[in-house]
Amino acid sequence: MTRTFDGADPFPTAASRALGDDQLRRNLARATTTIRTKRGKVAGELANWEDLRAAGEAIRTSALAHLGDYLEQFEANASAAGGQVHWARDAAEANRIVTGLVSATGVDDVVKVKSILTAELGLNQALESAGIRASETDLAELIVQLADDLPSHIVVPAIHRSRTEIRDIFLDQMHRVGLPAPANLTDDPPMLAAAARAHLRSKFLRARVGISGGNFLIAETGSLVIVESEGNGRMCLTLPETLISVVGIEKIVPTFRDLDVLLQLLPRSATGERMNPYTSIVHGTRDGDGPRTWHIVLVDNGRSSALADPVGSQALRCIRCAACLNVCPVYEQVGGHAYGSVYPGPIGAILTPQLDHITSVGVAASLPFASTLCGACRDACPVRIDIPRLLVRLRSDVVDANLTTTAEKAAMTVAGASLSDPGRMAFASRLAALAARLRPRRAPGAAGAWLRHRTLPRPTGRAFVTGRTRRTPTSSAPPHPIVDHTRPLGLRTSPMSASATDSRTSILTRVAAATATQTAPTIDRSYRAPRESDVVKLFIERVSDYRASVRTCDEASLPNAVTEALGSHASGRIGIPSDLPEQVTSKVPGDLVVDDQLSADQLDGLDAVITTCRSAVAESGTVILDHGPGQGRRALTLVPDHHVLIVAADQIHDRLPDALAALDPTTTQTWISGPSATSDIELDRVEGVHGPRTLDIIVII
Amino acid sequence: MRVALFVGCVTNVLFPTTAASTVRLLERLGVDVIVPDDQGCCGQMQLNSGYRDAGLARAAVTADVLERALTKADAVVVPSASCTATIRRGWAEAVSGDPAWHARVARLAGSVHELTEFLIDVVGVVDVGARFPHRVAYHPTCHSLREIGLGERPERLLSAVDGLELVDLPDADRCCGFGGLFSLKNTDVSAAMGDARLAAFAAAGAEVVVAADRSCLVHLQSLAEHRHTPLAFAHIADVLASTDGTLEGTV
Repeated sequence: MTRTFDGADPFPTAASRALGDDQLRRNLARATTTIRTKRGKVAGELANWEDLRAAGEAIRTSALAHLGDYLEQFEANASAAGGQVHWARDAAEANRIVTGLVSATGVDDVVKVKSILTAELGLNQALESAGIRASETDLAELIVQLADDLPSHIVVPAIHRSRTEIRDIFLDQMHRVGLPAPANLTDDPPMLAAAARAHLRSKFLRARVGISGGNFLIAETGSLVIVESEGNGRMCLTLPETLISVVGIEKIVPTFRDLDVLLQLLPRSATGERMNPYTSIVHGTRDGDGPRTWHIVLVDNGRSSALADPVGSQALRCIRCAACLNVCPVYEQVGGHAYGSVYPGPIGAILTPQLDHITSVGVAASLPFASTLCGACRDACPVRIDIPRLLVRLRSDVVDANLTTTAEKAAMTVAGASLSDPGRMAFASRLAALAARLRPRRAPGAAGAWLRHRTLPRPTGRAFVTGRTRRTPTSSAPPHPIVDHTRPLGLRTSPMSASATDSRTSILTRVAAATATQTAPTIDRSYRAPRESDVVKLFIERVSDYRASVRTCDEASLPNAVTEALGSHASGRIGIPSDLPEQVTSKVPGDLVVDDQLSADQLDGLDAVITTCRSAVAESGTVILDHGPGQGRRALTLVPDHHVLIVAADQIHDRLPDALAALDPTTTQTWISGPSATSDIELDRVEGVHGPRTLDIIVII
Repeated sequence: MRVALFVGCVTNVLFPTTAASTVRLLERLGVDVIVPDDQGCCGQMQLNSGYRDAGLARAAVTADVLERALTKADAVVVPSASCTATIRRGWAEAVSGDPAWHARVARLAGSVHELTEFLIDVVGVVDVGARFPHRVAYHPTCHSLREIGLGERPERLLSAVDGLELVDLPDADRCCGFGGLFSLKNTDVSAAMGDARLAAFAAAGAEVVVAADRSCLVHLQSLAEHRHTPLAFAHIADVLASTDGTLEGTV
């Protein structure tokens, strides 16, 4: 069972300890440098990157400014499409709801997609107490769970583990919860990924209940968006009969087309890719395709409190890309565990103190100071959260709440006074010169902290400005600091009481009060302006970059191209949707198996699958399926190991905004950008995890 | 042209020769310099550490000082990117609902210049007639880079210095780890970050590390001395004021 951050030390102590871990620091330096470089490259590729950031900021700010309306809109649309929406005020209630929903199915082993919110809630622990095992299926979360460890990064939670450690964890632990790791397992990343694939595959194919989080909730359609690389998300969203999605209320996005910004920003910022391998857009329940029952649990857990702070609420814009972690010079030195929270790094330092999941005020109060205010995070944030400004604001909350030490307060008063005018500064200069002559190696308090690693400066003892020793009176009273919120750090002014009011009303009332004076900014959509591109050429280039195979043919030679693409699988068992045009497979020698509700095991027994698609995006090499004619249900293109995907040239759009404008927003979609992959093992990209390991794209020109 | 020099507390107390260098440099370029004898601290330390009331008390006094100075000078020059950033941004960000204060700050902001901004944008000079034949690593401090956007100004000025060789510094924009109170509250991490920078300077073959902020420099210099790393440290004013390749009075 995964540990929690309960009992974590405040940042300075935990950080100093982390500095002693050379392996950790080596891993971190390598990881963050790698992602930083990749991110810089793909962001730099887009001439309109800054426009996208501005639009991303505006979209997320708009969503928060009218959060109550959008939540209600989401609920109505999700319900109409077959989802069941629940509301949870806090962690206890969320865990109660989810545990109840799982218990009602009679299942005691569920599969989970990575969700930081569920870690924030302590959901796995709650389920465990009810005798339900939640098996993590994201590779990094699997590693963390098997090792009874803690996540250290938002996107790559096991980044602190070396490949050798991962091998040992698999060998020691996998057999306790399922298929054992092969006895000859080495620390070669492809072998490790293969071991994870085998171990989890049996769980996926047998799973009856899946639990997910959510990257975004679309108000306009009631859809859920899940962004991933490995295919475990698609497995959990598609194969079980019951899906329970647990999502924070701040994840709302107003319209489907808003994804045209957010899904350009997120993959580039998070992993330095033009697009992540799989994005799933779940719209309600579909007969014969995916879960029969879908529950969505909307969770507050302190978000409505954060929302009420006009400066602090910026933190809720976060799209969980972790770009801020990857550029942070402090995070690079100490890693995520030092922040004592499931949200580490710069975003963690501003989110954790504003939410409700940390019981240690000592930890929460130390986080705003876990930064030099260098601003690298602000520059990297795709939705332009002014993290340094929020840190400074939270620091004054700590001081106002009387959470700083008496020694510090005294030292600040003395320092402030001694620098207030030239006379006092001249005195300070003499004092500093005297102190230096003593050449102390140690001292108490602040001086001691300096001397641990530094010598004292040796000034001459004469300040530069010679001036009056009298204090100059001010001509006016000092200005007032910001007093637009009165919430002391770590405490809610209006805690969510267990009142008779139902949670839905309670949450919506708090949200409405919090956003009463907020206005939605206008969103500049000039990023949607079309440009001239050779879309086919660009698409082929970009698909090749992902190491999917791509070939072109004309309409007449399509059957040959299909057979060629199948390779040795052409004489095997090939799954096809019932409405795939016959001509496509006319030259395929093998067994054509029409998918008429094949079981998961039967799908697993197929060698390959052939489908068409809805459209494609040249810029990112993405193919979009809306599971309409010729595309099959979701499981068909997920379980078999080899996917042959047919794209017509006139289906290819230049960029994501062009493609989304042509889609029906109320469809369930799967976006495919390459074969499944993972970068969770020391950031080495390994192809082929849970989704099809071979992707062959045929472009009909 | 006449300017008023706002020195900043770190420079005033610990590195007065940097202030002297600034005066010498400006006078050499034909700019008259007055030094207001009532100047104190801009309040950055308190404002950034959460002690807003104390910081704003400092800010109010210093705003008076600067306004008085601007009755006798055309502009205020500050040989510190972080003080400049506090005056132009920090003072406004700490306050809301006080339009009079915001108007004062906005007016002042137009007349307060960091040194290299002043040289390039106002005096319009790149070659300031300096000589400093050494291998120099320029460290762009976070305030100069991200708060006031000095951009390439400092490097342009340094490139024009006779004999000066600017070394290539990969990842130059990484924070040195000072961060004001961070250097004390998180001293171990602060030192680790500084050590990383020192290693980068040494690997680049630098003899002297130059920056636009004495605060970052004192952290790096004190760290280097503790580690016995043979690097010299200088404020850009000290280098630009030098005509004989030495740093008067500085280490």
